[in-house]
Amino acid sequence: MAKILRVDMGAESAAFEEVPDKYRFARGRWLTSSLVVDEVQPTCHPLGPSNKLIFSPGIVTGTTAPTSARISVGGKSPLTGGIKESNAGTKFATMQARLGIAGIVIQGQPKNGSQYVLHIDKDGARLLPEDGLRGLGTYATTDALIGKYGNVGVCCIGPAGEMRMAMAGICFNDLENRASRYSGRGGLGAVMGSKGLKAIVVNSRGAPAVPIANKDLFEMGRKKLTSALRSHDITKPKGGLNTYGTAVLVNMLNEAGGLPTRNFSRGRFEKAADIAGEAIFEGNKARLGKELYNHACSPGCIIQCSNTWHSEDGSEAVSCIEYETVWAFGPDCEIGDLDVIGRLTWLCNDIGIDTIEAGGTVAVAMEGGVIPFGDGQGAIGLLEEVRKGTPLGHIIGAGAAVTGKVFGVVRVPVVKGQSMPAYDPRVVKGIGVTYATSTMGADHTAGYTIAPEILGVSGKVDSFDVKKAELSRNFQTTTAFIDSIGHCLFIAFAILDFPEGFEGMIEECNGVLGTNWMAEDVGRIGAEILARERDFNKGAGFTSADDRLPEFMKYEPLPPHNEVWNVSDEELDAVHGGLASR
Amino acid sequence: MRLRPRGSSEANSGGVPRAERVGALITLEVWLYGPLARYAPAPSKASYSQLHLSLPDGSTMRDLLRHLGIPQAEKGITFVNGDLTDMPGLRADLGRVLHDGDRVGLLHTRSMWPFQYRFLAKTSPQLEKKLRRRDGGGVFHSSRARSSTREGR
Repeated sequence: MAKILRVDMGAESAAFEEVPDKYRFARGRWLTSSLVVDEVQPTCHPLGPSNKLIFSPGIVTGTTAPTSARISVGGKSPLTGGIKESNAGTKFATMQARLGIAGIVIQGQPKNGSQYVLHIDKDGARLLPEDGLRGLGTYATTDALIGKYGNVGVCCIGPAGEMRMAMAGICFNDLENRASRYSGRGGLGAVMGSKGLKAIVVNSRGAPAVPIANKDLFEMGRKKLTSALRSHDITKPKGGLNTYGTAVLVNMLNEAGGLPTRNFSRGRFEKAADIAGEAIFEGNKARLGKELYNHACSPGCIIQCSNTWHSEDGSEAVSCIEYETVWAFGPDCEIGDLDVIGRLTWLCNDIGIDTIEAGGTVAVAMEGGVIPFGDGQGAIGLLEEVRKGTPLGHIIGAGAAVTGKVFGVVRVPVVKGQSMPAYDPRVVKGIGVTYATSTMGADHTAGYTIAPEILGVSGKVDSFDVKKAELSRNFQTTTAFIDSIGHCLFIAFAILDFPEGFEGMIEECNGVLGTNWMAEDVGRIGAEILARERDFNKGAGFTSADDRLPEFMKYEPLPPHNEVWNVSDEELDAVHGGLASR
Repeated sequence: MRLRPRGSSEANSGGVPRAERVGALITLEVWLYGPLARYAPAPSKASYSQLHLSLPDGSTMRDLLRHLGIPQAEKGITFVNGDLTDMPGLRADLGRVLHDGDRVGLLHTRSMWPFQYRFLAKTSPQLEKKLRRRDGGGVFHSSRARSSTREGR
């Protein structure tokens, strides 16, 4: 029977309880958001005693389902002030799943400034005071814990989380035990820091397999999805993602004129091709003398999209440089040097901050005259200020909205206080609708795919004619479901393009849970999750005025297309107008 | 009117001025990405090539591919002046007439532009027409997706 591990930082206790029957199928984002809504006052201070931090692996995590080692982390965000879920791909997820722990709930706060490490294995859970890791970066913290406990799952915060900075993330270890997989967005690392929790160590040695209700059905689904992933051009071995990683999007968005450059003032960067996924692949090849294909971040991933960037001497500089990261420190800051971007990535990993928020904030700081655009060493200096916790470091660490306010910047690309990712909405208007209306703030993963059956339900549907509100809503509900099952979002390509891929995904879930879900349950469950998140945000004080893009995008045309943001407020409000409130 | 020899081209060496339209030539700025970089006349980088080249006025995308020796099978997502003009397998822009000063971007077949990141981005009328004929429009990522085989639901 699956359990919840409830950890009270004030009482220094860690105890197991049963998963409430109403949540017997809920995992991942479904569980984290449900528990946040049930147990956290939406008006609470995110860094105070009433907020909670919840870790939940997905429905099929820990099984042999391909590319399914994801863990969701949820709470009230110190960055947006609303509900937050962000997830990571990591062995920590599979280990927690195998221990039968549906959710770890961290609540309360230590009485003094103590720090702790939570240890979980098949024999139970222990919350132990630990002062020896205080102030350490995530690389040193992870190394220390792996060194002491062996090949375990580790999550930790860096100095940014300890200092409760709103861009702090939670770092998980990858297959090689690098400190590089992130629950990045929304400052959940600061919540963890506010609870005095420096790290969690999960060891599933001796734990049984994840229970599967219907093994034949699960196996049938697993085979279908695996086959779909292995044959799709984007996800197959030596396909797009395995060769070039997500950074393959740099050249694409640059040609499209939608790559936000110089703090969202242009849509094209003249050095984009020098830092794109193709340049990373060829640069590694030149420095290593051989082609290097990407690797898996977590157990069971067959897409294997994570890259490593190598220094001139052939040593590994950092893993990994994703599209969002290379964009945030590259075009957005006008830095065109992969070695500098690699260094900035490593610093974000170590200090424990979200690379999207960090790069976006540095660009706003450049706009505000703190350092010039293009100043790579200056950007490195700003991140060192964050690490040291100087007053300037605290300003940067608070994110783009706060930095923009402090330095009097108008061009601040945020929604609900969260910095915008690497697609300019004036060019890709569809993603702009998602940025504006997602419960998460400006988020590029909240509306990732649609269930193809949603298209089919209304007959022949043409994406050109479907109202953008309806499509965005479908994107967001389907994605909320995928965020709950433990699969990486990158299964989206295969499940949308191949019917058997989508069928396989549902069969896997039904196989594990013993449910009888059909295609329409994907949308139903996703819609329930979103409705609850919306209610939380309403309780936190959000209104439709928060479902908007920044004003400057309405009047500043973005070269080369020179488009402005012109989607009406009515269309934005129609996205969730169709969702029932509780 | 005396015509210049067909297809003079030169790799960009920084600041090459656009050729003036003399007689019946157009000048194009062409970007070749990833494995397509090697089709530049004098490729200097392995990951991309940026060229300025001249073709006869009235040249089409097909003419450009022939001039560079790029097989159609290797042509992926394509842009002209930032507008999406083709996706793999659709051949929506081969007959497109190119104009003086056009910027043409040729992505390779292992590149991608997922639907959620191109929804409502500028698309050429010819490509839009082809995508409309597919069930679901431009939603699918692969040219071998369900829409090419299914009649309707």
